[in-house]
Amino acid sequence: MIENTVMLLIIVPLLFSLLFVALPKSLYKYLAWAFFIIGVVLSVSLVLGGTGVVSVEEPNFAMFENIVLVLEVVVILFILAISAKYKNWPTLGLGIISAALFAYTYANVPGAESASFNIDQLSQLMILIVNIVGTAIILFATGYMDQYEEHRHLNRQRIFYFTMSFFLAAMNGLVMSDTLGWLYLFWELTTLCSFVLISYNMDEEGINNGFRALALNLVGGVAMSVGIILLATKYDISSLTGIATYAGTDAVALAALALPVALLCIGGFAKSAQMPFHSWLLGAMVAPTPVSALLHSSTMVNAGVFLIVKLVPAFANTSLGTAIAVYGSFTFVICSALALSQRNAKRVLAYSTIANLGLIIASAGIGTPLAVAASMMLILFHAISKGLLFLCTGEIEHTIGSRDIEDMSGLINKAPLLTSIAALGMVSMLLPPFGVLLTKWVSMEAASNNPVVIVFLVLGSALTTVYYSKWLGTILSSSMDKNAVPHKKLETYFPLSVLGLSIIGTSIFIFSIYDYLIKPQVAILLGNAPNVTGQAGQFASEIGAFTYAAIFAVLALAILIYLATKNMFTPRMSSYYMCGENNLERDRLMFRNGLCSYEKSSVSNIYLQNIFGESKLTTFGYAISIILIVIALAGGVGL
Amino acid sequence: MNEILTIILVLIVAPIIGCLASGVDRKITARLQGRVGPPLLQPYYDVKKLLSKDNMVVNSSQNFYVIVYLVFIILSLFMLVFKQDFLMIIFVYTVASVALIVGGMSTGSPYARVGSSREIMAILSYEPVLILYALAIYLLTGTFKLSALLDASSPLLMYTPLIFIAMIVVLNIKLKKSPFDYSTSHHGHQELVKGMTTEYGGPGFATIEIAHFYEYVFLTGLIFLFWASNPIIGVLLGIIAYLLIIVIDNITARVYWQWMLKLSWTVLLIISIVNIAFLYVSGVKLA
Repeated sequence: MIENTVMLLIIVPLLFSLLFVALPKSLYKYLAWAFFIIGVVLSVSLVLGGTGVVSVEEPNFAMFENIVLVLEVVVILFILAISAKYKNWPTLGLGIISAALFAYTYANVPGAESASFNIDQLSQLMILIVNIVGTAIILFATGYMDQYEEHRHLNRQRIFYFTMSFFLAAMNGLVMSDTLGWLYLFWELTTLCSFVLISYNMDEEGINNGFRALALNLVGGVAMSVGIILLATKYDISSLTGIATYAGTDAVALAALALPVALLCIGGFAKSAQMPFHSWLLGAMVAPTPVSALLHSSTMVNAGVFLIVKLVPAFANTSLGTAIAVYGSFTFVICSALALSQRNAKRVLAYSTIANLGLIIASAGIGTPLAVAASMMLILFHAISKGLLFLCTGEIEHTIGSRDIEDMSGLINKAPLLTSIAALGMVSMLLPPFGVLLTKWVSMEAASNNPVVIVFLVLGSALTTVYYSKWLGTILSSSMDKNAVPHKKLETYFPLSVLGLSIIGTSIFIFSIYDYLIKPQVAILLGNAPNVTGQAGQFASEIGAFTYAAIFAVLALAILIYLATKNMFTPRMSSYYMCGENNLERDRLMFRNGLCSYEKSSVSNIYLQNIFGESKLTTFGYAISIILIVIALAGGVGL
Repeated sequence: MNEILTIILVLIVAPIIGCLASGVDRKITARLQGRVGPPLLQPYYDVKKLLSKDNMVVNSSQNFYVIVYLVFIILSLFMLVFKQDFLMIIFVYTVASVALIVGGMSTGSPYARVGSSREIMAILSYEPVLILYALAIYLLTGTFKLSALLDASSPLLMYTPLIFIAMIVVLNIKLKKSPFDYSTSHHGHQELVKGMTTEYGGPGFATIEIAHFYEYVFLTGLIFLFWASNPIIGVLLGIIAYLLIIVIDNITARVYWQWMLKLSWTVLLIISIVNIAFLYVSGVKLA
């Protein structure tokens, strides 16, 4: 049963990617609906099917292994060809290094007799994210891409949908495979897909940014394959579970693994766009919004943190773990500060993604059961909220023609439903009782024993509150001009509603999710589960308690009070106060200036460009993050 | 049963105390300025009058944010009274602050938006200090739950003098008193143009005032925690801190928000971190 689901999860997205190529554009809408429904069914059935290991043994193994080898050669040849075609020498160099490493592996690393897919709760969690959020994004794209292409005079949707679906297949393979060689192949396939999608517009900017993503991820890939070679040749380890088993033997084994594990983590850092690799994710903003949503929420960047969480047994409570925690929390604070200074909504979201992934990595690095639980919960909640926010930003851009936060004031009058959904997404990123805040609470409580990490988390958390509440206030502010017409398509609003309801649903049932998916996984990774007691409606650990049900109840109460008193005090509408300078003869909303002509009042938010601007912080961030990575490679620090 | 009684008591008594505190504030301020000042119950009369007025709004949803503000202030006060997780109390309190900010911005009025923008900067200034305060409690008791603090026999203040100083400034910011009252004022010091609340009047504004009453109690409650081991001294500490804030309000002039941010992210953060570092290094525990 579980074997079939595993195979279907890889084959079905591949099949859909071929269908998108074969069928005409008019059918894409129906294909996307079918894909969404099948994705939901498959992922839920995998979760209900329980955990297990699916081994691929002889005689099938030889065939699969050959497919893997051929695909790896194809990937490398593609990278070499494309970088030679566009004369991108750094990428070509990295491609040659990858090819050399591949040849070395092929010649020197002893071949395996079997491979396996390991379905544990973390894989299930990731499968749910990839196949529900991911297919929802593809569905959204069918309502989005026509208008996008019309603006830019493109006609490449065939490639777009092919790559998006292929991406999901690769991602499904990545989160299920236990064998490092196969994991690496899927890893490189996602890199390649992201390159194709980022350079989708085929203009100079798009291609440059695509190559940047390719190059930085190849750096991570090279680090990773060196790590895999070290593991295979020195310790005869060829799978993720093998690493955990070996690390569990004794302290000497654990210390011996520090270097290869740190190398694998660097692969994860690059994939998750942590500093100093973060620029590729910002460059990815030039792609259509569904691509950004896919990269940021359900696929690419999650692969990095997925790997790091899987490696927790190899660095929990070691000096390497501490180094990773400091590194992650540093990225969290610096990228939150950078997000504060941005006016472009997509850049705000990009920095926010990097920051939150930093928080996930920091939590994994702390390595206590509570912290690891927090990191997994954050992967889930972040994926949903960020997917929603990206899609909303894309739709807002189509509605008002801008992605500048300042232009979004008055959006609540222009597109009430869209704004409400976007507001829900933002609130879920920073306020209780929603999941992201809850996990932030857990990771802060878990980090309390590490002075550096906790101070970084405290500062980053305050900065997060600032940039989201600023944006939230702007979209909810009413202005008197109404000149935008939202187009209400089912393909647009259905995915948004699904994600919005998922935010509320997962936040309400967080304890069940914790009990079913998170707790057993932490027990697998660390050998003991977090000491969290309580039942639905409340979390209680040895160091704190959080009754989130009470907050939900109070929120509901607030809504009830509002509705009950809404008409009790005869509301009367008026225009707003302009200090006696309203022009009574015109629309009453303009100031009269010193020359007796009229001017529209304009107030903008505070962005603190000269303190937190990119020009001020980026170099500093590069320097510190590179130092921290070097420390991690050297085996970490004994804080 | 006992809990329900406490809930009802808090619901009724807290605004009365807050109202009196606000009245005392106006009385002392008047005396310091050489005026007689309004009667002690003036804040109550104000609210009563406001409730009888028309509900003028520029936006059909602006009162929703006010109600969220009110109920989350009350919730954080309850969580304080019931000795809940202090870190969580801070996050719940943030909901209230953000609601008021969004409420101000939602009106679209330029004055309200300026006030709200500045109040967001106030959050940036005080939130790290508040969380470091929570961290100090954790380091001294081994838990974020306030019950441990109330069970201890020695006062928190003994080990956290620097955080106490920082918290006094935070109290000043949160109560929007001079020199940090930039978010409630724009030009002059007119009641009409009061930053974030510019567009509120009638029952909506009355709700904000009532929420402020609760907030006074909540914020002095945070000071009370520094000497929670002896409730009488704790209450005295809260009262002294409040009077001190009123005096500071009257002897200082408003500063730019930039100045406040610099003060907070340098002086306040550094002294708080020094205090935290001391707690880490010495490893003292509250007995």
